[in-house]
Amino acid sequence: MTRETVWLACGVLREELTRLRHDGGIDGKLTFLDSLLHMNPPLLESTLSEELRRRREEGDRIVLVYGDCCAGMLDLARESGAGRVDAINCAQLLLGRKRYRELMREEAFLVLPEWAERWEEVMTDALGPDPATARELLGEHRSVLVYLDTGIVPVPEVQMEAFSAYSGLPWRVERVRLETALAGLLEAEAREGDET
Amino acid sequence: MSSSGAGCDCEGLYRQLLDAMINANRARAAEVVESALAGGIPPAEVITHILDPAIVELGTRWEGESISLAQNFIASKIAEDALLRCLPDREDPDCRKGVAVIGNIEDDFHSLGRRTVGLFLGAAGWQVVDLGNDVPAEQFLEKALEVGARVIGVSAMMQTTAINIKKLRELIDREGERDHIKLAVGGAVFNWRPELVTEVGGDGTTRNAIGADQLFTALQEQALARELSS
Repeated sequence: MTRETVWLACGVLREELTRLRHDGGIDGKLTFLDSLLHMNPPLLESTLSEELRRRREEGDRIVLVYGDCCAGMLDLARESGAGRVDAINCAQLLLGRKRYRELMREEAFLVLPEWAERWEEVMTDALGPDPATARELLGEHRSVLVYLDTGIVPVPEVQMEAFSAYSGLPWRVERVRLETALAGLLEAEAREGDET
Repeated sequence: MSSSGAGCDCEGLYRQLLDAMINANRARAAEVVESALAGGIPPAEVITHILDPAIVELGTRWEGESISLAQNFIASKIAEDALLRCLPDREDPDCRKGVAVIGNIEDDFHSLGRRTVGLFLGAAGWQVVDLGNDVPAEQFLEKALEVGARVIGVSAMMQTTAINIKKLRELIDREGERDHIKLAVGGAVFNWRPELVTEVGGDGTTRNAIGADQLFTALQEQALARELSS
């Protein structure tokens, strides 16, 4: 009997993975964890570890859709035998290595659709409610906000305008096709079971 | 953590600075450092007795998970500010210790730790050649050979990018430079997973930027000693 693939993924990619499964790009069950776990790597690691252990006991075939978001991410994949996407973060998974590198060299601050809706929650927690501080800190190392438009939800112009005003950075849209992420996901699925 | 320095209320200032760093109060942190300097405390003492202990305590709290990733990032940024305020009087171009080539390894874009290391090394008398983020192994070695550096310092924040340091280790060995150029590795992931230092082929590491001068000095001495004995 063929085991079902469980895609254990960050909630920041919920819409994209749901679309890919709907369109037949990937098969299996989607399980998402809260994207704000990214801000607490130790908690993310323990949560993932428990989830992987439970899934393994149930005999699932697991693909970890996470970048290098906690210190032991590679070990989690190796020890559980899960496949893992070969990307340092979710933005690189969507963009591919080459385009990601280009944007990083431009000092772009990349904004994913799910994250755009929560920018205020994340940024005010991280940098405080004072836009002046945020502008100082972001402006020193970032030149532009780049919204990664995966074509599933409308570009959140109001939120991006507000984030731009808070950060003092201009913003623009980069259209992202899901084929790049799909290729990465399927490669990870093919590696499942290889990393023990 | 305690802090002491002859002739200054360093303990009190250290606590004020730490409090400002943890609470993301950049302006307050600047005030603390400026007041210390204006009060006649030499920059070297401000670094040693006020800033260093605050950075060490920050690292302890981060490892103990009592501050968040975001708090740690902001606090580190503030520490960098504070260090910059202290640096001009420490720079001594006539007392160069050597040349250090530093950078973040290929695919790594977390620059804050590397920049802080560069500032500490510069303050300690090193000529620092900072190659920036996302640096391929070939570029590290090429630059080190060009400028005559005995130590290359490579930073990586996460495990997946730290693994890329192996490419530099292999390149150094392949080119026959193992005894002449030493590889210092650092970054948050090496604190969480010390065994990675050996796994990626590092010759040494330091838990934070404060130890960078000591590490680079020791590694440079090793390289020079090998050269003299051969």
